[in-house]
Formats: sequence, structure tokens, C-alpha cells
Amino acid sequence: MLGAQLSKTQIDRLGDRLREGRLEDADLRALDAYRRAFSEAYESVIQVIREEVGLEPTGRPAKSTKSIIDKLRRESLRLSQMQDIAGCRVIVSDMRSQNEVAASLKRAFDHTSLVDRREHPSHGYRAVHLIVTNANRNVEVQIRTELQHQWAEVSEKLSDTVDIAIKYGGGEQDIRQMLDRTSKLVATLEVHEFDFSAHIAKRGYRELPDDVLKLQSSFVMQRHEIAEILDEIAEMFSEKGSSDALLN
Amino acid sequence: MLFLIEYDRQRGKIITMTSFEDLDRLFAEESRLELELDRNKKAIDNEVVLLEASSEEAVRRTHRRYFEDLTELATSPN
Repeated sequence: MLGAQLSKTQIDRLGDRLREGRLEDADLRALDAYRRAFSEAYESVIQVIREEVGLEPTGRPAKSTKSIIDKLRRESLRLSQMQDIAGCRVIVSDMRSQNEVAASLKRAFDHTSLVDRREHPSHGYRAVHLIVTNANRNVEVQIRTELQHQWAEVSEKLSDTVDIAIKYGGGEQDIRQMLDRTSKLVATLEVHEFDFSAHIAKRGYRELPDDVLKLQSSFVMQRHEIAEILDEIAEMFSEKGSSDALLN
Repeated sequence: MLFLIEYDRQRGKIITMTSFEDLDRLFAEESRLELELDRNKKAIDNEVVLLEASSEEAVRRTHRRYFEDLTELATSPN
């Protein structure tokens, strides 16, 4: 296969041409072949996740050309260094499940590297990424909680329809502040809920005492606050985002 | 199942979506390439992506941005 035959230098030269926006058919075909060279590793990883870990990920066998070009342009990395050419995504309910899934996946593969974007968010994006190295190829497994996922999808949609810079920490100040604030609120809520569930499990209450009930109800308030900010973002930008005027 | 999605980022809308059975992976990959070459020839700057999931419902959940507008994304956690 062409992708397997390309040298690292050839792959990076292809990346340079893509970065410059020169999209010749031959380059699109070469990129396609390079991406297909990840198929074996990707399929193997998906199979293990399904059969050994018991999860149903959504796979993305090959990163889209548009996303590859965007990434090459905004980061000083070479095409051969890109770790998420092939990948998949798993959505879980909360941080506890996220930790458990990450641990199960780490055990299931021989060579992994964990990127915890909860501790080090990328422009507000929070998730756990596990890079699995299989057959000398990297496959990125994204593990997101539902709230992290919602935040990420809103952020990406805004990047699509309003300003691509939003996804990478840019964009208008008001939207940036709202996204950053929501991301921090999600982080705080998830850590509190995680600690709370650990506390409940440790104490083994038969009936929750008042102070614990009060704490529990504060989580509902925090979720409302997050929902309100996201609503506000949608109100501010949905019309702009769906406007055909942007295309003219 | 495999889902070949053509997405207009600026409009935030799916332009075309075709599904394939798992056994048709090679055909799906060829279709992805042909679609990309065609759009490039016509200077149409859409995102073309192939996703794999157990069902359309699953892919709609994990890749909501392709299917939902901003209001839907913001108002419903999932």
C-alpha cells in the first residue's frame, strides 16, 4: 500500500503541501493511502475495545482531510507526528466511569500513553485521551463524560459556524469567557460529584443526612448554571451560526 | 455500520450521508476518496468523514455536532 511505502520525509513533504493549501488529486490520493495504513492498527484496537473491554466506541478510521489541514496549519507539527489520524470515542456518564474505562483500556493494551486533559485542559477542552500504539501506529481513544462531551460539541459547533479560532482559544472575548467559565464549572461539578460518590460509598449511609442532601442538591444548582450559560451562548450565536449570509 | 458524512462547516449542516454495512468497508473507503476528489475538483470546501458505529443512533450521540444545531447541543446534555 502506498501509505506504508511512503518514507517519513515523503509523508512530511505531503503535509507541507497540504498546509500550503495545494490540494492536487495526487496528494489527496497519497493522503488517503497514508491514512489507510492505519487501518490494521485501528481495527485491532476497536476489536479489543469491543470484545475485551465490552464498550461500543464510535470509530473514526481516518481523520478528515480538512481536520488534518487545520491541525497542520495551527500547530508546528509534521504530518508524520500526528497522533490522531485514526481514533475512536467513548462517552461515559461521569468521572468515576471515565477513570474506570481509562484503567480498563490501559490494561487491555501493551503500549499506551495517557493524556489527561481534565488536569491540563486544552482551551477549555477536557477529556481523557489514551494513545494506543499498535503495529507501530498510534490510535487515539477519546474518553469523555457527558458534560465534557456537551461542552466540546458546543465549542466545535461554534468553531464551525462562527469562528474557527474558538476551538483553539481564540474568538470574540465574550464567547471565550463564557466557554472558559462553563468548562471550569463542569470541572468543579465533576470533581465534587466524584468526591461525593466516594464519600457516600465509604460511609454506606442507610439514609442521607441533611448536610449530605444539601450538598447533593447543590449539584443540581450547578448543573442548572451550566445549562443556563450554554443556553445563553446558543441564543447569542445560533442565528449567526446558521445564517447563510456568512457564506456570501 | 459505516457512515460517510459530507458536512458543511459554515452552515453547520450535513449535506449528504450514506451508510454502509461493516463488510463494505473497502467500498466505503473508496466512496470517501471519490467524494473528496469530486468536491475538490468542484472547489467545494466541505468536510468529508467516515465514521463507524453500532447504529446511526450511536453516531448521532458521539458526534452530535454534525447532526444538531447550536440550540439543540446547548439545551440537551445527550
